Amino acid sequence: MKNSSESKFFTYRVINTLIMFIALVIVFSLFTPRNIFISVRNLASLGKLVPDLGVVALGIGILMVCGEFDLSISSTLPLCSYIFASALFGGLSPVWGFVLALLSGLALGFINGLIVVKTRMPSFIITLGTMMFWKGILYVWSRMMPTSIRTFIPTDSLFQKVLTGSIGPFFPVQTIWFVAFAIVLGIILHFHRFGNWIYATGDNQEAARAMGINTNLVKIICFMIVGVLCAFAGCMQSVRLGSFAATQGVGSELRAMAACVIGGTSLRGGIGSMMGVFLGILTLHILDNGLVLMRVPVFGVNAFIGLATIFFVLLNSYLDRKIK
Amino acid sequence: MNENQNRQPLVRMVNIHKWFGRVYALRGVDFEVGQGETVGLIGDNGAGKSTLIKILSGYHRADRGEIYFEEHKVNITSPRDSRRLGIETVYQEQALAGDLSIARNIFMGREPVKNLGILDRKKMDEESMKALEELGLHLKSPNLPVKTLSGGERQGVAISRALLFEAKLIIMDEPTVALSVKEVREVLEFIRKLQKERIAVIFITHNLYHVFDVADRFVVMARGKKMADVKKEEISLDELSELVVKSALVE
Repeated sequence: MKNSSESKFFTYRVINTLIMFIALVIVFSLFTPRNIFISVRNLASLGKLVPDLGVVALGIGILMVCGEFDLSISSTLPLCSYIFASALFGGLSPVWGFVLALLSGLALGFINGLIVVKTRMPSFIITLGTMMFWKGILYVWSRMMPTSIRTFIPTDSLFQKVLTGSIGPFFPVQTIWFVAFAIVLGIILHFHRFGNWIYATGDNQEAARAMGINTNLVKIICFMIVGVLCAFAGCMQSVRLGSFAATQGVGSELRAMAACVIGGTSLRGGIGSMMGVFLGILTLHILDNGLVLMRVPVFGVNAFIGLATIFFVLLNSYLDRKIK
Repeated sequence: MNENQNRQPLVRMVNIHKWFGRVYALRGVDFEVGQGETVGLIGDNGAGKSTLIKILSGYHRADRGEIYFEEHKVNITSPRDSRRLGIETVYQEQALAGDLSIARNIFMGREPVKNLGILDRKKMDEESMKALEELGLHLKSPNLPVKTLSGGERQGVAISRALLFEAKLIIMDEPTVALSVKEVREVLEFIRKLQKERIAVIFITHNLYHVFDVADRFVVMARGKKMADVKKEEISLDELSELVVKSALVE
């Protein structure tokens, strides 16, 4: 493998995910009934659904590179979505409600990050705590009632079009947002100074600190990136559904992590790439979608995602040992 | 080396005290390094040598005492302060991030950037290769992950980081620990190159044989105190080794 320029961009980890991705696309294209997988309708619906989790998982990828996790995304996402809905009911315009939700996401991320770096406890436990805490708050506050926001954001309003509309007859705008976030975050991670700090923090925190990097700040900022992406995804989803639902984001914390692992992100930090995470998200979703189209029972699909996750962890650790 | 006698002091640490909770780790230590001088800092585990050096590199703060750099009193409160003065620390194994490339490691925390903080990779690659060659290390590519290098090469990467930023003093914390004989020789060779560049070195070790060859002066510590401070021409290896054993035993 070439080890000259841009070495981090296409490592063997990314290649593995890419091969899996292409293989699945071919298999599902050939073997789904009436080749429904590659029908425009199916691809367009994937283009709408994938970004819901995808946008958040991109942030989780970055957070995992810096050596931390965030389980609380499954609460941050619906909480921000509810803040958005409440703001609309409170008389704020969609844009200001959206801004308020994004700020809330940043704040929730900041709280997670601050607790993690101040207590030096594993983020797994801290964010498990904040997940349950915010979920409790949300359930009491919203009484778990779905809240329609369609009257505030009518279909074909500019706000709706920008967030969840489509270009041409079917190309969903969400896909553009998803790709745009992936590109921006990819540039930060791979080409920006801050990206080098993220890798250094995740790879060897002591070394990074000795070299004058404020590793606590790096971690807090990564948590805030995840928070704001949750808010974005939460609002995008509620606009698409036309309603807030307390069940938004359920299970997203583990699926996001699975997507990152399938994309070659290490659980120990310091290893991972935006391209890998991006492909990991796509792979997880088409696995999901393709199997359902092949009439595998919806709840059985998880079994395959689980297998894929374990497969990639084993594959990558095997290759690591071999290459070393 | 006759110039040893009248070197200007580069760093002077005066009457340094440090407590960790109830542990009295440094009990009034005076420590000095001349311009371009190599000082071997010797002592058992827990003698206080790492603590002393971490105060100099900004990792810990002294509870009492003063530090003078080029005869100016300085206040070192963070690793950044220390590096700004021209003091670079090469820590034991932990100095590098294994999965990151050589260039990314060398520039860690001080990345050259173009607009908007985008890394200037060309500059990173070229300058890291140049610095490595200055040390006599010819590596294939600046983009190799550091974990693929040998122990000696890794020390070379860590030292070239210091060279590149024009350090006046390089602190090496146990640079030869866990290295093979050949790799130790490499590291000692790096130190000789630094001496030629008139860069001062503090070489912390408990291996006398590694340090005796390269150092100009030896400082022996035990239980938070300086026990001896001798020039190389005043002592033989055997005497030094006896001195170290004795100072460890003194109550």
